[in-house]
Amino acid sequence: MRDRSIVLWVVLGAVLLAVLNLPASVSSQAKAALREGVAPLQGALSGFTRWVGESIRSVRGIGGLVRENQQMSAELVRLRNEVRDLQSLAQDNAALREQLQFSAQSGRRLTPCEVIARDITGWWQTIRLSKGVSDGVSMDMAVMTSDGLVGKTVDVSARTSDVLLISDAGCKVSARVVRTGAFGVVSGNGPARSGQASCRMDFINKNVPVLPGDEVVTSGLGGVFPKGLLIGYVDKVHKDESGLFQRADIIPKADLGRLTYVFVVAEQSYGADDYLMKTRSSEGGAP
Amino acid sequence: MFMAILVGAVAQAVFPTFYWLGQVNAPVLLGLVIYYALAHSRGTMLQAAIFAGLLQDALCMIPLGYSSFCFCIVAVVVSNFKDMVFVHESFTHMMFGAIAGGAVTLALYGLLSATGLVSLAPGWVFLKGVGSVLLGAILVPFEFEFIEGLDRMLGNTDERTS
Repeated sequence: MRDRSIVLWVVLGAVLLAVLNLPASVSSQAKAALREGVAPLQGALSGFTRWVGESIRSVRGIGGLVRENQQMSAELVRLRNEVRDLQSLAQDNAALREQLQFSAQSGRRLTPCEVIARDITGWWQTIRLSKGVSDGVSMDMAVMTSDGLVGKTVDVSARTSDVLLISDAGCKVSARVVRTGAFGVVSGNGPARSGQASCRMDFINKNVPVLPGDEVVTSGLGGVFPKGLLIGYVDKVHKDESGLFQRADIIPKADLGRLTYVFVVAEQSYGADDYLMKTRSSEGGAP
Repeated sequence: MFMAILVGAVAQAVFPTFYWLGQVNAPVLLGLVIYYALAHSRGTMLQAAIFAGLLQDALCMIPLGYSSFCFCIVAVVVSNFKDMVFVHESFTHMMFGAIAGGAVTLALYGLLSATGLVSLAPGWVFLKGVGSVLLGAILVPFEFEFIEGLDRMLGNTDERTS
C-alpha cells in the first residue's frame, strides 16, 4: 500500500514537472485546445446570463419607454444633421486627397465578435471573444466598440481570442490628445471602487496645456493600435512625480464593464490605384 | 468529475467580483478540489486537482501548470487532515475553504510575480487574500453540499474512501 502511494506521488511530481516545463509552443497549443473545448459551454452560459439580464432590464424599463422614445427621436434628428455635414466633408476630403495624390489610403476591416467570458481568476482584466484565427483574428489586433477602444488581442486560438482590456495595467497604448496633439502612453489603473474602469495617460509634455474633457485617441505609433481610435476623455490632470511630464486620468468612452459585442480591427492598406478606382466607381465613372 | 469541473470552470467566470474583496473570482474550482480531496480516493483527488488546475490556467493568462501545482498541494494537505476532522461538517468545509482560498491566492501571486507576469501594490494583494479567504469560507460549504448531493444522486459513491 505504501509502495503504491510512493509511486503515485512520484508520478504526480513527474507530471507536474513536465507540465511546468513544457515548451512555450506546446503549452500554448494545449491551452488553445482546452479553451476550444470549453468555448461552446461558455458561449451558451453567457447567452443565458445575457438573456436573464436583458429580461430583467426590459421588465424594469417598461415605464421609461415613452421618455426613451422621445430621446431617441431627438437623437435621430441630431445624427441626421451630423451625417449631412459629414457627407459634404467627405466629398471635400476625397477631392483634396485626389489633388494631393496621396500614395495610399488606409481602411479598416471590422470583425464583429461576441464576448463569451471574462477572466476567471481576477489577476487580469480580460475578456474572451467567440472568434479566432479561422475568422481572421490574430495576436496584437485592436478591439473596439462603437464607443471607443476596448483593448488588444493577446492570445488567439482557432475559434476564440482573449483580449487584454485597456483598464489593465499591462495594456499600454500610444495616445494623443486631439485638441493639442500632445502625445503620451495610456495604461490601465485596474479596478476602481466605483466599478467604472479608469486609465491614466503618462509622459505628456509638461508645457502643453491639457484640460479636463479633452478627447484622447490612439496615435498610431507602436504598430498595434490604428491611428485615431477614440480611447476616452481627460478627467483630471496631475504633475508627474519627476516634474518632467504631466499625467492625466482618463475615463474610457467604452463601457468596459458591460461588453457584449465588440469589433476586432484589422488595418487594410490599398494603393493609390485602388483608391482612385474606388472613388471613380463611387462617382459613377468608368473604372 | 470531469463534467463537474468543466461546469465549475465556466461558472467561476460568471460569478460577480467585488472591489472590496480584491476583485477575486469565487473559488469554484478550488472548492471542487477540496471536495474530491475530502470525499474521494487519492487517485480521483489528484485527477481533479490536475484537471481543474489545467482548466483554470487555460481559461486565463496563467502559464500552464501553476494552478495544478497549487491545487495538488492543497489536495494533498486536505487529504492528510481527512482522518482528523469531521469530513461532512459544514464548519470543516468552511475552514478548509478559507485557508485554502487565501493560500492558493498568495501562492499564485508569488509564482506570477516571480515570473514578472503580475505586479500589484501590497495593499491590493492583501485585499485579494482577504477576499479569497471570505469567498472560500462562504462558497465551499454550499458547493460541497451540492456536489455531494449530486454524486449521491448519480451513484458516484463506489470509489469513496472512509
